[in-house]
Amino acid sequence: MTDVHTPEAGIGTAPAGIPGEVPGQVPGQLAAETETPPVRPQPGTFGVMAWARWGWRQLTSMRIALVLLFLLALGSVPGSLLPQQGIDPAAVQQYYTAHPALAPFLNALGLFNVFAAPWFAAIYLLLFTSLAGCVLPRTFRLARMARALPPQAPRNLSRLPNSVRYETAMAPEEASAAAAVFLARRRFRLNRGRGWLSAEKGYRREVGNLLFHIALMGVLVSVGVGGLFGYKADRLLVEGSSFADTVTDLDAYHPGHLVSPTDLAPFSLTLDKFSASYIASGPDLNQPASFDAHLSYTAQPGGAARTYDLQVNHPLNVDSTKVYLIGHGYAPVFRVTDGRGKVVYDQATPFLPAEQSTYLSEGVVKAPDAKPQQLGFAGVFLPTAVNVNGQLESAFPAPYEPAVSMIPYSGNLGLNSGVPQSVYQLNTTGMRRIAAPAQVLTVGQSMKLPNGAGTLTFTGYKQWASLQVTYDPGQGPALISAIVALVGLVLSFLVRRRRIFVRAYRGEHGRTVVDVGGLARSDVGGGFEAEFAELAADLTSVHHGTDTGAVGPAGSAAVGEAGPEAAPPGGPESTQPGPDTVTTPDGSDHDSSPRSEETE
Amino acid sequence: MSDNLGLAQLSDHLLIVAVVIYSLAMLAYAGDFAYGRRVKAASAAGKAARPVPELAGVRAGSGAGTPETPETPATAETPATRETPETPAVVPPAATDSGADGRERLGPLIRAAIGLTFLGMAVHLTGVITRGIAVHRVPWGDMYEFVTALTCVTVIFFVALMMRYRAWHLGVFVMGAVVVALGLAQTVIYTPAGPLVPALRSYWLAIHVAAMTLSVGIFFVAAVLGVVYLFAERYARRVAAGRSPADHGIMRRLPGAEELDRLTYRTVVFGFPIWTFGIIAGAIWADQAWGRYWGWDPVETWAFITWVVYACFLHARATAGWRGKRAAYIQLVGFSCLLFNVLVVQTFVTGLHSYAGLG
Repeated sequence: MTDVHTPEAGIGTAPAGIPGEVPGQVPGQLAAETETPPVRPQPGTFGVMAWARWGWRQLTSMRIALVLLFLLALGSVPGSLLPQQGIDPAAVQQYYTAHPALAPFLNALGLFNVFAAPWFAAIYLLLFTSLAGCVLPRTFRLARMARALPPQAPRNLSRLPNSVRYETAMAPEEASAAAAVFLARRRFRLNRGRGWLSAEKGYRREVGNLLFHIALMGVLVSVGVGGLFGYKADRLLVEGSSFADTVTDLDAYHPGHLVSPTDLAPFSLTLDKFSASYIASGPDLNQPASFDAHLSYTAQPGGAARTYDLQVNHPLNVDSTKVYLIGHGYAPVFRVTDGRGKVVYDQATPFLPAEQSTYLSEGVVKAPDAKPQQLGFAGVFLPTAVNVNGQLESAFPAPYEPAVSMIPYSGNLGLNSGVPQSVYQLNTTGMRRIAAPAQVLTVGQSMKLPNGAGTLTFTGYKQWASLQVTYDPGQGPALISAIVALVGLVLSFLVRRRRIFVRAYRGEHGRTVVDVGGLARSDVGGGFEAEFAELAADLTSVHHGTDTGAVGPAGSAAVGEAGPEAAPPGGPESTQPGPDTVTTPDGSDHDSSPRSEETE
Repeated sequence: MSDNLGLAQLSDHLLIVAVVIYSLAMLAYAGDFAYGRRVKAASAAGKAARPVPELAGVRAGSGAGTPETPETPATAETPATRETPETPAVVPPAATDSGADGRERLGPLIRAAIGLTFLGMAVHLTGVITRGIAVHRVPWGDMYEFVTALTCVTVIFFVALMMRYRAWHLGVFVMGAVVVALGLAQTVIYTPAGPLVPALRSYWLAIHVAAMTLSVGIFFVAAVLGVVYLFAERYARRVAAGRSPADHGIMRRLPGAEELDRLTYRTVVFGFPIWTFGIIAGAIWADQAWGRYWGWDPVETWAFITWVVYACFLHARATAGWRGKRAAYIQLVGFSCLLFNVLVVQTFVTGLHSYAGLG
């Protein structure tokens, strides 16, 4: 039952057409375990154990595994089409606003967080349980099989999909021994009896198949380990500023369940300079061409400072903790003097890009220390400011004509209200817009607020980079598991499990007749016919004493001439009349005989 | 980065020429169906009785590589006969028919179609390569390049498959699908040659997207084979039920359902590990570019769904009651997921694979 997790599970499946013809077939060993559903226990007649066994057999059956695979694919679909909390929380909020009736319902089903939803976990955990329940017994069976011998040769080899018959001058025992030596040299596993020889090869196929499935479980475990012991955080850094990899200094810190704050790698890092270049012409105008964040960092407190040129696709690796460049923007520098003439604000203020193509950015300035009233400013930064019909726009993402346009407010910023505020937004409920003509400031220019409330000076600009700090201990194991899975997959597709049978016996004319039969138990890639043809030809040469592959004396090798007079012992079926007994490699002349390759 | 505009234009023109040649090839394949020489009645009857019409004998013959003995084609069929050509008496008539089918019975139209296929393939490949030279990088950096490259893989894989199995008559379906895909690439999703956004500047582009291009091209062939299989399977059932003539014009020239099923399966088996490798390579790249190796980005999710559905197909072929038609449908569902990913998700669903900018 559980043999069937493998694509073309037929490894063990005997060719259906010749059940009675294979006397030596050992069912338990290469068991042809057919997909008959287990008998469902009748209520009352079976105990709990019987039901449990029935359930387990169902779960580990191929049919249920297929259904679970389908469910896994189906369950992933909403995760890609609906906004996901883990990927884009803002989009989920938008969805709530757009579909107020539907969204709570979808949320109850976990459809905004599919890949962390209990039902999704249930699918893949059941699938992997099913997988384990199938793979483990198969591993034991493979281990047993590796020690067992191939089954006895079928009586009538001409009924096999691939077969050849020829005569030789050797005695039957001698021919059998020569074939054994020949096949052993080709690294076949052998089993011999009186007048017959069975050889088998290709166990690596099953090994590959098992490796693949076990490695998939390894991937799952690695992902779990990464989720438990890893962490992820963001940090926005303006040119010239630094941060240390501590919980308090990180912006959006998402630790795994088993991470403690002391586990964080103790590095610190400074953004020395950020530079970006953009395509200035052609169809890809305004597209970014390169980003470089020049960093200096120390791996441990007191350690030597090193520099690194952080780029997209080139993360910085500090003791397995990785730092990525994930975003950038402008931070205009403002100086605010209040009504008393005192400088109450003088710093670079990160603005968030509102337009990806032109890097028109939005941001706010908050001066809580301004007297007599707190001051606030909201506005835009334009890297390349142009006036289009009286409308101020940014023409290019690089800072060729940097300018700002800010709207002043005065009143209470509400910073002490206890409600957390975004540094990128101004809470204007307690504030009043100061009536002042909209003014565009270029670097060095100031705007005077009416009634002597103060001034705002745009003194310059810096750039910022947003960095992501990630530690994922499951990464390495996941990669190794994935590579093992791939190797196993290729192995299971490339290697074919095949058996060669040889029977040598005294024919009616006193000469020795040799029957060679071949059976591919699984031949996904095809090509067993060719391999068999080559093997049979070489074997013929061995039996003719010409190891070079050349033909012996004319007439000594005859195919299809077997006819009724040279029937092998106990093989009446082979006596088909006339020329039809030519055994083509693919067996197509035997309509009743099985096509064994890919006994899916 | 200066792009070579002349070469880029040459590439565009070559690809248009390739579509024209493929269209002609498709017409020639179709014309062969309609007007090609009829097979002699005797052998047609012989073939109808065989489960695997034309591929059976020929495949062994082509494997042994003995095209020089057309008068005794079956000599290639077993090693012993190959070595004893003085026993042609045992050659059954059916084998002569099938042996000759692959090599000797190609009509002028089908030969023209094959010639055009090769010519189109050469022009197509040149077009893809010149595009790469023009932009100084691998020629699969945007959607247009991706489709032109993957259809090129499709044609090359089809030619390799058909050279091995001699089932040239499938060309009309493969060429038809390629013409549609390449035509759409040139009209709907055409992108002029240009440099890449920084997120794509990585040698993983060459590895990840190459694997994806290869496997999509191969799955493309599998999907075409799967569709033809469904028709052949239906036809076989109708013949069995006595509702269709056994030597129906088109079906007579196609491989039997069983052979098509096998070909489809082998094609998927060839593409599946490459797809798996593509996903792994993508994960490694995602780790470098985006700070995580797997993040359920829409394109990642659909690559995963596609992988799972093709895995379903491979397993379904091993499950009683799911073989044949059902498995073929699963395979087509898998290819639909793939198409959906390439055409809808990457274009319309916002995600990291949209390459709108840095983050």
